[in-house]
Amino acid sequence: MKIKTKSVVFTVLIFTGSLLSAHAQDANTILKKMDDVLYAPEDMTGTNTIILIDKNGKQETREATVKQKGTDKRIMRFTSPASQAGIAVLALPEDVMYLYLPAYGKERRISASVKNQNFAGTDFSYDDMEPIPYSDKYTPKLIKTEENVFVLELTPKGQSDYSKIVVNVNKTHYYPELMEYYDRGNTKIKVAKYTFKKVGDYWNATEIEMTNLKKDHKTKMQMTNVKYDTGLTDDDFTVRKLKQ
Amino acid sequence: MKPVFFFSVMIVLLVTSGINKAQEGIKTQNPDENKLQLSGELLTDERFLLENKNDWVWNETRLTLKLDKKINGNSKFYSEVWLRNIGLPDITTSADLYNKGIVDPYNLEIREAYIQIIGFPANKIDLKIGRQYIAWGTADKLNPTDNLNPYDMEDILDFGRHRGSDAINLNYYFNNYFSMQGVFIPFFQPANLPLGIFSGALNPEPELPQGMVLKTFSDTILMPRYSIGKSSVSGLKFKGFVGGIDFSVSYVWGIDGLPFITRNTFFPADTLGGTNICSQLTFARTHIIGADLATSLAGIGFWAEAAAFIPEKDIIMINDLSAFYPMSPVPVTQDTLILDKTKPYLKFIVGGDYFFADGSYFNLQYLHGFIHERGNKNLNDYFFLRYEKKFFNEKLKVAPISGAFIVADWNEIKDNYALVYMPEIAYKATVNAEITLSAVFFDGKGDNLFSNLKDYNMFIFRLKYNF
Repeated sequence: MKIKTKSVVFTVLIFTGSLLSAHAQDANTILKKMDDVLYAPEDMTGTNTIILIDKNGKQETREATVKQKGTDKRIMRFTSPASQAGIAVLALPEDVMYLYLPAYGKERRISASVKNQNFAGTDFSYDDMEPIPYSDKYTPKLIKTEENVFVLELTPKGQSDYSKIVVNVNKTHYYPELMEYYDRGNTKIKVAKYTFKKVGDYWNATEIEMTNLKKDHKTKMQMTNVKYDTGLTDDDFTVRKLKQ
Repeated sequence: MKPVFFFSVMIVLLVTSGINKAQEGIKTQNPDENKLQLSGELLTDERFLLENKNDWVWNETRLTLKLDKKINGNSKFYSEVWLRNIGLPDITTSADLYNKGIVDPYNLEIREAYIQIIGFPANKIDLKIGRQYIAWGTADKLNPTDNLNPYDMEDILDFGRHRGSDAINLNYYFNNYFSMQGVFIPFFQPANLPLGIFSGALNPEPELPQGMVLKTFSDTILMPRYSIGKSSVSGLKFKGFVGGIDFSVSYVWGIDGLPFITRNTFFPADTLGGTNICSQLTFARTHIIGADLATSLAGIGFWAEAAAFIPEKDIIMINDLSAFYPMSPVPVTQDTLILDKTKPYLKFIVGGDYFFADGSYFNLQYLHGFIHERGNKNLNDYFFLRYEKKFFNEKLKVAPISGAFIVADWNEIKDNYALVYMPEIAYKATVNAEITLSAVFFDGKGDNLFSNLKDYNMFIFRLKYNF
């Protein structure tokens, strides 16, 4: 009897263990597939229109050109409004960032702590904008499966302003449809809604609408004139280019 | 052919051939990108004293016009012009009323006007010719290694402002991490001195021997001869990036932009000790060796910068008292060594900054040797601190802590210090218009730049509109 009980318990343990492992495996696979969709192109260029909307519906628009190579090199140059035109940011691997302010006539190395702040007055933090695969930064857990989406809970592997992110991943194409950000007190603080469209071989986030629930403030980021795999090289992501 | 003419012709040929070369192979350019872009800024800057019947002390309306034209994908023309009403009318006679320049003082300044060609004369070289500002140094605004362009000290509260210089500026990129820059400025330009109430800040009262009282003071300045050897300034800088650290080492064959008094001739003005002084000022050729670095450690931005100033010759001030001893068979002079060419003086700055998650920003810098200070014994210590916080998606910026603490003599600190406190509030009324209100409070003891301003606490209003 004792032997029987032991073997049943053992079988249950193995079964639940493998179930958990399968779930974890699924979550990892889903997140990896989402990363593959988000970061599939070798490089990307485009125009980024940033619309800030306050609680009264008043809008402010900013525009920037963006170039990105892989997941760790990006150059962003503001073209409007006039007060920001010419300001450019170069982001390189290992948190090396440079800011170019035309008024100073030189590049300035900026401290990595700038990532603590929101990007250029938007509701996106520098962390949100960082093109680093989610699977590198977060541990996923599959919470539930709905009709069209997988719902994953992402827990940061390292230091983060978020305790978790809940993401809805499209079941067919594996792009994110919705992300909910929770602060360290586990309160939902931001919601990002994604609109994707296929450009050539790749899925492109034509609009991301980020709502800051605390401030009742929204930022829409729209990508247009998107071109993929144009052959950008490391030479396009240098201080020399930043200053041109 | 005169050398200057030959030089100009060579530059024109170089630039035009460079543009032509750069145009080759660029046929599918978006025509809109090549249009002349006009942008700029309107700035109103008004200041009044908090004491002394609230006298107005600064009046400036500045229209900055920026013209930017891409000649093609690899070359561009850029210029920046200031058109200003600056200063308060200084009317003393009815004749002045006929002079619009006195009734309504204005000036026009070409800050920059240059042509830049990328990848010329070789792929790894960028060339920039014309009036330009060549900014060196990694520190925030106060850069001991930034010595190519003349200082623009017109507004002493705008630390580190420079004017443009006519220059040839070449950058050679070994790869994406290392580069070498060479700069040649054919004509030396001195620094311009502070305006209005700040005008006396850099010129302390001359010390006279006991029993003498200053009656009148006059001076003459000896400018370097305008020749390639005498008036030109050049610089070389090697820049690199290793192990997460940006660094550079540089050398400038420069001329100090502030003149030294090299001769004082004393004349008796009366029998009661009244003395007239006639001074002669000269500019000193100086070798400047610099180094800087910038990095980010544990999220904190960190920078350091140092420059060693080595005068080419000893700077000696001769006090000529011969007029007081008419019977003396030889001139009666007294020499004082101002700068010893064998004893370089070192200016340096270290600093750091940090961005907090709540939108606030902290910046701290320690500077040894301000812009106008020369010689090891005359370098004071400056601690600059700024804490600011942004609200309402960066519409409102408040800097409750901003200022400096200056120590002129650590041994007698209570009598040789200065404090500057500059709180500031800036509000973006529209996306392109910003209103700034600030105040400046000076306090201190002893003879140093900022303690000399302690009677000039002021309120500042600025409106900036970008277009």
